[in-house]
This record gives sequence, C-alpha cells and structure tokens, in this order.
Amino acid sequence: MSLLPVFARAISAAGLNPEQRERIKQLSFADAGHGYDAFGMHRDFVGMGLVITAGLYDSYFRVQSHGHEHLPAKGQAVVVANHSGTLPTDAAMLWTDIVRKSNPPRIARPVADHFVPMMPVIGTVFARGGMVGGSRGNARALLGAGEMVMIFPEGVPGISKHFKDRYHLTDWRVGHVELAIRHQAPVIPVGIVGPEEQMPQIGKLNVRLLGAPFIPLTLTPIPLPVRYHILYGPPIPIPDLYRPEQADDPGAVREAAARTRAAVEALLEQGLAERPGIFK
Amino acid sequence: MKREAMRGVLVTGVDTPVGELLVRSLLADDAIGQVLAVGSRPPEDALPFSHAGRLTYIQLDLLKERRVKDLLFGPARDLGVEVVVHTALTTEARAEGRKVHALNVDATRSLLQLCERHPTIHRFVLRSHAEVYEVQADLPVLIAEDHPLNLSQNAPQFVRDRVEADLHACVQMGLSKLKIVVMRCAEVLAPGTGSQLYDYLESPICFRPMGFDPMLNVLSLKDVVRALEFATRAAEQGVYNIPGADTIPLSEAINKWGRLSIPVPGSWMTPLYRWRRRLRGHDFSYGMNRKRFHYSGVLDGTRARDVLGYVPEHPVDWPA
Repeated sequence: MSLLPVFARAISAAGLNPEQRERIKQLSFADAGHGYDAFGMHRDFVGMGLVITAGLYDSYFRVQSHGHEHLPAKGQAVVVANHSGTLPTDAAMLWTDIVRKSNPPRIARPVADHFVPMMPVIGTVFARGGMVGGSRGNARALLGAGEMVMIFPEGVPGISKHFKDRYHLTDWRVGHVELAIRHQAPVIPVGIVGPEEQMPQIGKLNVRLLGAPFIPLTLTPIPLPVRYHILYGPPIPIPDLYRPEQADDPGAVREAAARTRAAVEALLEQGLAERPGIFK
Repeated sequence: MKREAMRGVLVTGVDTPVGELLVRSLLADDAIGQVLAVGSRPPEDALPFSHAGRLTYIQLDLLKERRVKDLLFGPARDLGVEVVVHTALTTEARAEGRKVHALNVDATRSLLQLCERHPTIHRFVLRSHAEVYEVQADLPVLIAEDHPLNLSQNAPQFVRDRVEADLHACVQMGLSKLKIVVMRCAEVLAPGTGSQLYDYLESPICFRPMGFDPMLNVLSLKDVVRALEFATRAAEQGVYNIPGADTIPLSEAINKWGRLSIPVPGSWMTPLYRWRRRLRGHDFSYGMNRKRFHYSGVLDGTRARDVLGYVPEHPVDWPA
C-alpha cells in the first residue's frame, strides 16, 4: 500500500494546532472525488506541508510578512513574486504564509516549471500540496475555477541567479499577465526579501540530475538562516485596465508585465530599506 | 434529459458490456421505438433479455461492407433508424495487424460513409477513448478537447487505430449532412471494455513506478451508458470528453481495488509487466501506459456538461 497518505494524515493530525486544522478545513477546494482535486491536491498533504515548513517558517527563516489584506477573499487572482535562493524555499515560505495568514484562509497554487512534475517524489508531494506543472492549460483551469495561482515570472533563471545579481529581477516573463488579462484576474505583487542572500550562488553546472535542469555551485551547502520579509502589495486591477481580448495584444501584455515588474521592484526596495539586517 | 420520440437507434458492438448495457438502457426508454443491435455472436447467445418486440439483433461482421450496406439500407431503413451509435472497436491491446485496423478504422469509415447517404439516419455517435490524448509532464493535467493527441509513431496500434477512427469522424464534422458526435470516454473500469487499468488491477500485487503517483480518472459502466444516451439525443454535433465520477491517484485506485501497491524503480516496470504478459497472458502493456503512470491526465468534462448536460453521477463500485 501507499504509505504517503497515511503519513500525511498522521503528521497533519499530530503537528497542527486546532486553529491551523480549522484553517485547512476552511480552504476552498474543488474535490474531484476521494478527497483530491484533479491536480492531486489533498487537505492532509496541505496540513503536512504546514507541519514540515513550520520549523523553517517560525525558527529558521523567522518569516515576517505584511499586507495580507491585499489578498482577495475569493475569486481568481495571480500572486506574482521575485524568485531566488537556489532552493525554492521562497515559494514554500510564501505558500505557507498565505495558508497561515490569509483571511479567509486561501491557498495559492504554485505554478512550477515543467521539470518539477518530472522529479520523483518531489513532483508528487508538491502536487499534493497544491503545486501544478507550468503549462498554460493548468493555470487557465485553476483561474477559471476561481482559484489563486502563484507565479514566479523569473522562473529557473531567477532561482539560479548569481549572487551579484541579488534583488535584480532577471528576465521577467509575460505569461502571468497574459493569463491575468484573459481571465480578468487581479495581480497581487509580492516582494520576498531574504532568500536572495540565503545560498550565494557563484556558478552552475549545466547537468541534468533527477529532472533538475542544473547543478548549482554555491558558497554554502545549505541555505543560511536569513530572515524572510514577505511584502504583499496592493492588487494591480487588471480587469479595470485591460479587456480579455487584450491578452492577445503583445503591446498590452508587455505594458501589463512592466507594471507588475515595477510593483515587485518597489516592494523589494521597500523591504530592503526597512529591514534592520540580513539576519534580523 | 429531453425525451423526444425517436423511431430507431442502431448500436454496434453489443457483444461488449458497454454495447449490451446501452441496448438495455435504450429499451427502457419508451420514447425510442426500435433498437437494432449489431454484434458478432450468434443470435441465440446475444442479448438474453426481454424486449417486447422492440429489439432486433443482427449478427454481422462489420468488415463485410456489402452486408453492412444491406443492413443499413434494409432493416435499418425499414425500422426508421435515426441514430447510429458505433462502439465496436477492438478491446484487446495485443490485437494487431491489418484485420484489426480494418475493424477499428476502415469499418468506422465505411459505416460513416454509408450513413451519410442514408435516408433516415441523421446522427452518428462514435464511442471514442481517452487514450487518444497525449499525457506528458509539460501538458495540462486537465485534458480539454483541444489537448494534443497521441500521434506518436511509437504508439501501439491499439492507440493509433483509436486516434485514426476518432480523427476520421472529426474530419467529417461539418462536411457531412450527418450530425457527428465523438464521445472521448475516460477508461471504463470494467471487464471486456478494453480497460488497461482493469487488467493491471487483476493481479494481487500491482507494481508502480517509484516516486510517482499520478491522478487518473475512471468511468463506470452506468455513466458511460448515460453519456452515450445523452449523445443519441444531442442537438449539437462535436467532440466531448466524458469523464467519470472517480478522480483518484494511481496508488489509491490500487488500494481501493483491494490490491497491494508496491513502488519499484521505473526501469523495472517494463520487464516485470512484459513477463506478466508472457506468462499469464494478461493484456496490460506497461509501454502503453508508461506516461500516464508518471504524469497526471484527467478529462475535463466542462463541454459535455454545458452542451450535452452530462455530469458523472455513478462512481465505480470499488471492492475495498
């Protein structure tokens, strides 16, 4: 038998406090039968995810976050953030922060690069926690169902950026705004300060290993205990600014992407200016 | 469901559980006058149930085009058949060769051509299959009707024939005076339906690739028959995905079937199931299912819900 669901249920039951359990229960969730949604998400695994990330969130990265009121209470939305840190702990902490602190409780479905579902175990466990593979069809289906998706427009070049490029957004892909315009979803910009310094990367080997697209060369073998500051910005009202058919207008899409990029950059500047230090 | 009177329905493939149940269900509908059932078994072995004179069974080899023509322009015309539901595709994945292709593809094409010239038939329903779709890590999990088809040269004939028959019906849409409805049904988890998963679950121990647990969608016999009934009355032609009520990870499907699920390294799967096939005569081919045993693929039934009014209602009867 498969032991993972049993573990997930046990860990979820033992590790969550009553308030967290209640939040998981309240998550809006399109059960496609047997407790899973069509993408494989399951409440027990979301609960297990909260238990697993608790140590990192509370003690190691000591996440501080501001601006949760900008997350919509319901309906489709695209959460857009900077991506960095060699390991995707920024996505994990943002996912955790939204599940823990959004009001009412919501989950943002991380849209990962194609290689993630190809990775054994990781692909499956992440999918159970709400991740979907990075195809336009997956994001379209989720937004169409009124869910919130989490996109890192920098993608793999962001997470593998050189230490000297920290807090500089790399190539800002435009797919997220194309989706937002087509589905008339607001974009919630997020700046994540901290992970850009957690695992200074000085190079990479372009070798594929277990589905991962490269092997990073870093100054530290594990992430440093930097403090994470997550700043949510006011929603960019895409439905007020663009009509759905403008999703096919390259000029409108580029302009919208420039807006989201500027919003994330402003949040990063604010976060950097306000934090007392890398570890504080 | 809107029940306008219909003089007659012709169903092929009534030797299979889907065809037989569809005939039963159509006979239970008073709005349908006559049911013309076509199968390969001798009449005395086929459809052993009462029908109050509303059922005509014809033993027919669909490869014999002349006899098919005689049927359509003889008894079918006399009974006033308005709709043809074609479900007769090979159910054995191992079956290969020209004769199999002739049944799967050529017979479908010639039936469709004959229906186009027919004086009373105005609707053609093809029971197609979810196997026509490609499943890959970089493709959407939720499979809409515009999802890429599996056109790989390496796909087995079982899949290639299904794609070819499906595409042939699709191409005729709009060119033909017929209303053509292509029903891409999820896998029916029942014996005799061509279900690879059913055959896989026949063993007490089910091996699966370690580290992967994809989402599957399976259909019950009751729901596939309901969907085909909706199609016989569809006002619109088109392609429709027909999902079932069960969307479930592979490991849970194994557990719910009362089997032992054992993850093994992916490279072991092909030899293990090749030997199972050789020694025990099973039909399951791991090569055919390798991608969907790694990556999720679930039919999106939005179009069938919005246009046909079909929503899955009957889950599979899981033994455990």
